[in-house]
Amino acid sequence: MSLLEQRYRSVLRLLPASYRAKREEEMVDAFMELSGEVPDETNPRPRWGEIASVLSLSLRVRLGGAGASPRFVAWGEAVRLVALLGLGHLAVGSFNQLLHWGHALTFGTDVAWAGPPGSVERLVSIAVSTADLCSIFAFVAIMRGHVRTAKVTAVIGAAATLVYTLIPMILAGPLTDRPLSETAATLVFTAAPVIALLMGFHSDITPRRRSWATTLSPAAAGLAVLGGTWLVVALRPYHLDWLYLWLGFGTTILVWAAGAVVVLARRSSPSWALAMTTTGLLLLTVRLPLLGNLPEGASWTMVCAQCAVLWALSTALAWMGARGLPGGSGTVPLTRKVGERSG
Amino acid sequence: MFLAMTALVDEPRHGYGIAQEVDRLSEGHVQLKIGTLYGVLDRLSAAGLVELDREEARHGRLRRYYRLTDDGAKALREEAARMAATAEAATARLRARTAGGAA
Repeated sequence: MSLLEQRYRSVLRLLPASYRAKREEEMVDAFMELSGEVPDETNPRPRWGEIASVLSLSLRVRLGGAGASPRFVAWGEAVRLVALLGLGHLAVGSFNQLLHWGHALTFGTDVAWAGPPGSVERLVSIAVSTADLCSIFAFVAIMRGHVRTAKVTAVIGAAATLVYTLIPMILAGPLTDRPLSETAATLVFTAAPVIALLMGFHSDITPRRRSWATTLSPAAAGLAVLGGTWLVVALRPYHLDWLYLWLGFGTTILVWAAGAVVVLARRSSPSWALAMTTTGLLLLTVRLPLLGNLPEGASWTMVCAQCAVLWALSTALAWMGARGLPGGSGTVPLTRKVGERSG
Repeated sequence: MFLAMTALVDEPRHGYGIAQEVDRLSEGHVQLKIGTLYGVLDRLSAAGLVELDREEARHGRLRRYYRLTDDGAKALREEAARMAATAEAATARLRARTAGGAA
């Protein structure tokens, strides 16, 4: 076996074993024919373009592309659900922001922008907040089956927020000196759904076109969350500090927990269970660091309880999802058998 | 996908053969990487547009030949007709533009 063939076979290890068992030999044959005679003395390596194409194929197969095993189809569906849930959450936040702006414009109240009026900091703050609204367009687009529009708008919204949040943090000193929750929250809520969207909705996937009622549900959720928040603030329960822990991010935990219970009770598909596990663990990574910043007391206990709920439900969902996953050996045939004709 | 299917119209071909034929058909503009080619073959197979014709062993390695199915030929014919209609529309407009400029 030549050096180039050895190295190409190493590259093919990026592919799942079940796929390699079917395709490796013919892919090696095609690659070696394409490369021609290359002596080992020249220290040949597969080109970056070839490696990138195998990496891309590997991602598509692992995320339910054509020819993927039922197990990878389930994983792919889970990743797409993470994208939808995450973008839905971002859309709720952006819709709330829109409502705040509407309120400020109507009643002449102030919006909490960064920096003094007329400063560059204020201008950047307004630009980033406006870019945040892209998550609404991204969510609507993906729910209505427009993948490319969803990807473009989601990346615009996420890039603005990531740059605005992370660059000053990096410039301000080592990230280890900053509260972990700050970094984690930015990465979790902004980057994770967009990465899931980019990876999960690949070219082999024909997205479902969901109804307008489902598509607009984040707007209804945004209104409900905002109404609840205003109600709690209006009641001014200053003696009940812990109650504030159920606003904003706390409400997300509450809604997620209700969804997790429904998924568990209905014994939903493994994809749903795995998607809820992933989102639950992401929420936990944001909530957990708060424990280090709170003094012991009712609030600390409440955050402990929230983390325990997230952990317990995520574990139960992971167990259900893992048990329900189709076996790794059950694969979809890549090709019809010799002599078997279609139609 | 269009070029890969076109490459299989006249005879069954193996992976390298398809890549070579696509390169020839596109006059060197499309050079399929192996990972991309097998992604395309997966999609076409899953859609029932191509199927396995035969297997051969060469230099101790497996070589699979693929052929276009009847469904594949029908889909390619429809796509080719659509592209021809688009090209015809473009040609007609260019002709009209040239005629308008000359007038």
